[in-house]
Amino acid sequence: MIDRVKRKKQNKTLPGPLLLALSLLLIFMWGCGSPRQYIRPDVDIRSIRKIAVLPLETLTTDEYAGEKIRGMVISELLTRGVDVIEPGEVTRVLRELKIRSLGGITIEDIRKIGKRLKVKAVMMGSVGAFGISRGITASYPEVSIQLMILDTSSGNIIWSAWNTAGGPSFWTRHFGTEGTTLSETAREVVKETVDALF
Amino acid sequence: MPSFHVRQDVDFGFIKRVAVLPLNNLTNERFAAEAVRQVVISELLASGLVDVVIPGEVKATIDRLGIKSVSSLNTKQIKALGTALGVQALILGSVEQFGMVRMGNISAPNVTITLMMADTGSGSIIWSVTSTGVGGGFMARHFGARTETMSETLLRVVKEAIRTLAKY
Repeated sequence: MIDRVKRKKQNKTLPGPLLLALSLLLIFMWGCGSPRQYIRPDVDIRSIRKIAVLPLETLTTDEYAGEKIRGMVISELLTRGVDVIEPGEVTRVLRELKIRSLGGITIEDIRKIGKRLKVKAVMMGSVGAFGISRGITASYPEVSIQLMILDTSSGNIIWSAWNTAGGPSFWTRHFGTEGTTLSETAREVVKETVDALF
Repeated sequence: MPSFHVRQDVDFGFIKRVAVLPLNNLTNERFAAEAVRQVVISELLASGLVDVVIPGEVKATIDRLGIKSVSSLNTKQIKALGTALGVQALILGSVEQFGMVRMGNISAPNVTITLMMADTGSGSIIWSVTSTGVGGGFMARHFGARTETMSETLLRVVKEAIRTLAKY
């Protein structure tokens, strides 16, 4: 009887290797997470099945960062069954409306874009970081994006999310192993952000 | 913990919609102000505190009203922007630090921002906060723990700043 009680007590403590594995898992999970997002309460955002993705503003030294992320966003939306307007068609409408600056798109512009492209929602945003950053002992990719969906009838922001990915991993910092590439990090941040929505 | 000031005689419940003006860039990083502004907009929305006007509408209104510098707005201009944009308050401010700093033998991201809220009814400042953050903590400096990226430090600094507003 005493033996059985002892054995029960022993079973309750975690063995060393399991504890180590759990600790490593926690280290790996550090930095992972879903983006902080806003969904307008009175809007059924997930019912949007057709959208126009406007060119994203580039706030990094890589002048093509916006276009690279935009392509990934479009792919992610398409894989989730959301119909996306041809980027060329969006460019044509922006030209027709004489919209030169992405940071200067007004509510009236959003309404006009919606009417011409026959969409109820447009997505816009910016790329805040896209590059290789230098850490203490290692270089690592860093990507951060901001995406918004606007209702073309009211011009209101109905969804917004900001997300970042990258940073030096445990193995890169301590053992010099190869980490994720910039493209993989970009894909990760886009996937996580779109996952939060659809 | 950021240092902040909140006007005690103001009921923040009446503020439903705000406009975030372009921030004053006091750093050598070309895109620092706009990068911080995007995070501020996202965090204000995500916190559920207020609705935010799209940045393009704000820019167009500033141009239309002939305002040359948003870093030195007078009471009349604050009121005019509030009326034109249909908002109860404006968020303005500056980015003081946005880059890597050397801390002993390591480099770490450093971000410092100042945000203010101006009531468009009276034209006065009702909230102001200065928030700063460094990406490399004690554990990173001495035990090789993970340091934050610039984006993570930026998000933390903005979150801490907005949290002081959320308390009210």
